[in-house]
Amino acid sequence: MPVIKDAVCSFCGSLCDDITVTVEENKITKVGNACILGHSKFVGMFEHDRIETPMIRKEGELVPVSYDEAIEAAAKILVKSRRTLSYGWCSTSCEAISGAIQLAEETGSVIDSTANVCHGPTALAAQEKGSPSATLGEIKNRADVILFWGCNPVHAHPRHMSRYSIFSKGFFTEKGRKGRKMVVIDVRKTDTAKLADKYVEIDQGSDLLLITALRSIVNGHEDVIPETVAGVPKAEILELAEILKNAKFVCVFFGMGVTQSRSKYKNGDAVSSLISDLNQHTKAVMIAMRGHYNVTGFGQVATWETGFPMAIDFAKGYPYYNPGETGANDLLVREEPDAAIISAADPGAHFPQKAVMHLARIPVIQIDPYANPTTEIADVVIPAAVVGIEAEGTAYRMDAISLRMKKLIDSKFKTDEEIVKDLTAKVRELKRGA
Amino acid sequence: MQIVTLSLKKPNKIPIEADNVNPDNFAGKTEGEIKAIPVWYGNGQCPLGDFFNVSVEGSDSAENTKIVFKGDVSRVKRIGQNMSAGEIEINGNVDMHCGFGMKGGKIVINGDADSWLGCEMMGGEIVLNGNASYYVGSGYRGESCGMRGGKITVNGNTRDYVGEHMCGGEIIVKGNVGLLPAISNNGGKIVIEGNATMPASEMKSGTVIIKGEVSDLLPSYKEEGTEEVEGVIYRKFTGDVNVGGKGVLLIK
Amino acid sequence: MSEMLIKNANVCDPVQGINCETMDICIRDGKIVESVSGSAKIIDAEGRLTMAGGFDGHTHSAGKINVGRFMNPNDARKNLVPGLSGQVARTEKTRAQVGYNTPNTYAIGYRYAKLGYTTICEAAIPLLAARHTHEEFKEIPILDKMGLSLFGSNWQVMEYIRDKEPEKLAAYVSWGLRASRGYGVKIVNPGGGEAWGWGKNVSGLYDPVPNFDVTPAEILMGLAEANERLQLPHSVHVHCNNLGKPGNYATTIETMKLFEKINPSRDRQALHVTHVQFNAYAGTSWRDFETGAPMVADYVNGADHMTFDLGQVIFGPAVTMTADGPVEYANARMLHEKWSNQDIELEDASGVVPLFYSPKSFVNAVQWAIGLELALLVKDPWKVMFTTDSPNGGSFVNYPEAFTYLMSAKRREEVISGFSKMAIDRMVLPGIDRELDFYELAVMTRGIQSKMYSMPEKGNLKVGSDADIAIYDILPGQIDPSTEYAKVKKAFSGAAYTLKDGEVVVKDGEIEATPKGKVYWVNAKVPANIDIAMQKDIDVKFRKYYTVSKSNYMVEDTYLQKPVEIATEGVF
Repeated sequence: MPVIKDAVCSFCGSLCDDITVTVEENKITKVGNACILGHSKFVGMFEHDRIETPMIRKEGELVPVSYDEAIEAAAKILVKSRRTLSYGWCSTSCEAISGAIQLAEETGSVIDSTANVCHGPTALAAQEKGSPSATLGEIKNRADVILFWGCNPVHAHPRHMSRYSIFSKGFFTEKGRKGRKMVVIDVRKTDTAKLADKYVEIDQGSDLLLITALRSIVNGHEDVIPETVAGVPKAEILELAEILKNAKFVCVFFGMGVTQSRSKYKNGDAVSSLISDLNQHTKAVMIAMRGHYNVTGFGQVATWETGFPMAIDFAKGYPYYNPGETGANDLLVREEPDAAIISAADPGAHFPQKAVMHLARIPVIQIDPYANPTTEIADVVIPAAVVGIEAEGTAYRMDAISLRMKKLIDSKFKTDEEIVKDLTAKVRELKRGA
Repeated sequence: MQIVTLSLKKPNKIPIEADNVNPDNFAGKTEGEIKAIPVWYGNGQCPLGDFFNVSVEGSDSAENTKIVFKGDVSRVKRIGQNMSAGEIEINGNVDMHCGFGMKGGKIVINGDADSWLGCEMMGGEIVLNGNASYYVGSGYRGESCGMRGGKITVNGNTRDYVGEHMCGGEIIVKGNVGLLPAISNNGGKIVIEGNATMPASEMKSGTVIIKGEVSDLLPSYKEEGTEEVEGVIYRKFTGDVNVGGKGVLLIK
Repeated sequence: MSEMLIKNANVCDPVQGINCETMDICIRDGKIVESVSGSAKIIDAEGRLTMAGGFDGHTHSAGKINVGRFMNPNDARKNLVPGLSGQVARTEKTRAQVGYNTPNTYAIGYRYAKLGYTTICEAAIPLLAARHTHEEFKEIPILDKMGLSLFGSNWQVMEYIRDKEPEKLAAYVSWGLRASRGYGVKIVNPGGGEAWGWGKNVSGLYDPVPNFDVTPAEILMGLAEANERLQLPHSVHVHCNNLGKPGNYATTIETMKLFEKINPSRDRQALHVTHVQFNAYAGTSWRDFETGAPMVADYVNGADHMTFDLGQVIFGPAVTMTADGPVEYANARMLHEKWSNQDIELEDASGVVPLFYSPKSFVNAVQWAIGLELALLVKDPWKVMFTTDSPNGGSFVNYPEAFTYLMSAKRREEVISGFSKMAIDRMVLPGIDRELDFYELAVMTRGIQSKMYSMPEKGNLKVGSDADIAIYDILPGQIDPSTEYAKVKKAFSGAAYTLKDGEVVVKDGEIEATPKGKVYWVNAKVPANIDIAMQKDIDVKFRKYYTVSKSNYMVEDTYLQKPVEIATEGVF
């Protein structure tokens, strides 16, 4: 009975790499160390609604075809298109992402990742102010004050707190939770907030006001702070600033509560400035709580291959980048794309209705292990192996550390990497013919 | 005087990139030459004449060339990009990046403008007789200097981030603006006659006057008495203190 | 079997002592050979300067540069050196390109090749993040690649030095190189990275590292001793303490002196000091800041145990990126610039800050002069490697421009004429009339790299060497670089031919082919008993302090494209 040690969990951006997996008759029968989310991915993948075969929509119905037929149909759509949107690519390997970028380049497409609807603003913020960060082990070994802002790791990143942050024990943090102060800022008392030493509840959409107030205090201008900011009394903000300033090592973990609230990327921008200001007094870093296990990887690969982390428009043959103009939703809401290729994502469920309606009108190619609402509007459906379980490859943790995901069991399905390669080859063949 | 009139043959969804549609490039050209100018449309290039009816009256220098768009061009981007002289009149809505990097001349838009109107503008004038979307007079992603000179007048409302990273020039908005006007600006003047939210975050220098209501004034400004401008007395704030800013924010 | 004959080339190959002599070069199967058959393809190189492919021995081109790209999307459209920067659409042969200081991986490969460069050494690989560096290497076409692994603030290193365990230290260095597939030992601001873990820095060679009871000097000596014990092909590669601070030249000379007692285990230097321009500052503050280059050059002229590189400044935008975390934070605060930081658990720190070198700023003008003063005041070119510490001092695409500064006093005068009097008073460059010739330039851009990295098959045109060759459309003897520097710049900006392993990759300044390059790494053998004892110690580190498993830490073979393993035998 093979037992695979140190497997990498391909669920969330924590990318835990200490998973023990028991495989019997090409089935995962036992999973050690994983959280409930990771466990359900490893074991529950067999219970999910797998796409069993490649399919092409004919007269309104998806009918089974061979991989070759599906690839050819997909390639024909791409070759004909004047403006293809390629979207998703965050729950797959860096190798597949690299292939997808090359395909987008060769077809003059726009390629974007799921960061478009989660931590895209984090990248925009870094482009304003930089990203003062550290690897998760720095937090484990040093941080005595940990601030979770607009994130809820108890539910979204279940092992984060025990492996990397508040409960973990490290070199300078032998006492673990007892030696650390935990602060949570949110608009409602989440399960994470319930564990905090200090919880600050703020008015919806007022993050930037509070960050600015903290900066003003840290920079020695508490006189400009009115009696309440963001619904929080001045005395409490002063207290919070003191906690941060007097720490030995502060880490601010921030989530979509910060990136997707009213002032969007300007919040992350201001957090970055706050971190810089705090370093005048102590040591401080920030880390974004990335969701999809390899959304960070998309940003990394795209940046070294195209110069940009997302929303890359290859229409003119070279990369052009301008979120707000070249993001997946920007394009769909304006009804620009005349074809779409979607991998490992579900815009059918997560995009605004106007965007989904446009997707329903244009030819859509889906590459995914699982059926989801996007399948309902897809014209070509190409099933893929599950990366991190049925296929190996690279993924980036939320702190930009890359790890090699293992193949644990065999699969009859092609990998994303293979599908993209085949598709690119077919596109070249059709272009040569034309 | 040379007058070039353009009208779209039919509405388009995929944007046309008209970055070479400006008086500098049209001056002295015939109808045939202008029709032959290539423009990007999706992932390929086509002659301008494929999309537009073109008529030309006279032939003259860029300063004496006027381009008139008849009707809506809400999917034509970058009209007037880098123009240095002459005039463009747009009778309808216009797409993103109109007047990007403009150095001189004048653009009049009788309609609404999409985002990045007058982005990184250096000189000249834009008059928008409608509403603007995001990032009027701002900078490109990652750039620390947006609008550097010239004047933008918006006779309607704008959305967020008016004058982001502005370093010079003047923006006047007759209506309301969205979130964070004048964010991270470092010079120039912005006058907002309507309402604004969270103005002048991280302003290093420059002047921002808001005549309407201000919501959510950021807690990084010092109140320093009052100042009178054109007979109106405003509360005077200076900051942003977090960037050692010497900017002046005048509000009612 | 593929054969090629380069006929009537004007060969400049300092490793063989050949100074611009007309000769033929024969190539078979990617190597330079004595002779070829009559069916060899012929390149007519008559009237053309021919050198070994350029070798950038210290560049930031994979890994940390991605942070620079990420935070500066505005760099992508910068086209300050037409033909070698900006946005370029894909072609049938080439991938799409963007950028100036932080180009995408494809642009890095193509543009180095256009300059006639064929090998690069990435200056800083964090062990924990090494996989990332190799992922980028894979996407850099044409060039051969290698990298230097960071050890200077590593907990295990500091503990072994503190506990006087030199054998285990050497075993750890060997393991670290294997884990990261590195080529050599890089030490950045020794101890400073750990201090930066608490927002602090070390102030000099004898300022103890917080909580570890070792000094930067001890870290340097400990690692140098391990480096020589392992007989590594390169010496330790040191970024000194106090980088970027007025008065730091003293620390730099002190560091160089420390290494006088190190016996190199191979025929090479005992120490390489990098981007010395940033470490040759006199004065006590930015107010009385002035050049410290004469003092450093004076010491180097009397020393025979070391080499150094320049870190030459190029005016215009640049992006600083270094494992020296505290320096980057200080830069960002002083310049009010964007600041990225990435501390690496148990190992090191790093930061990235964009900046702009202006000839109008007296500090920047003096920095510009210091790099050139170092190159020109140090008499022996075999001690000097040419770099801009790309893109810290400026992008590598400006190398041809920088060559004109080295080769023409007139060109330097032109630039200096734009400086303020205050700047001119703080430099000695206006009084230096030395002009490098093509031979000396070839030493600094090819020859020294071959020797200092112990790579006999690189940086020269000997029989048996790799057929990595640059042919430039210029003829020494028929041109006076002192006055015709524009021609020099043009010729070096687009090679007439660049050959990589005997294949024409550039012709007339344009990309012809994009083969994949090799990756060099060093595997130093260590006795099993010492290795086992060392492994027990790092097992504890992984169990208690790292956030990745040991088995997932090692860079797997799959990440190495065309790997070349350099084996050495440790002496225990």
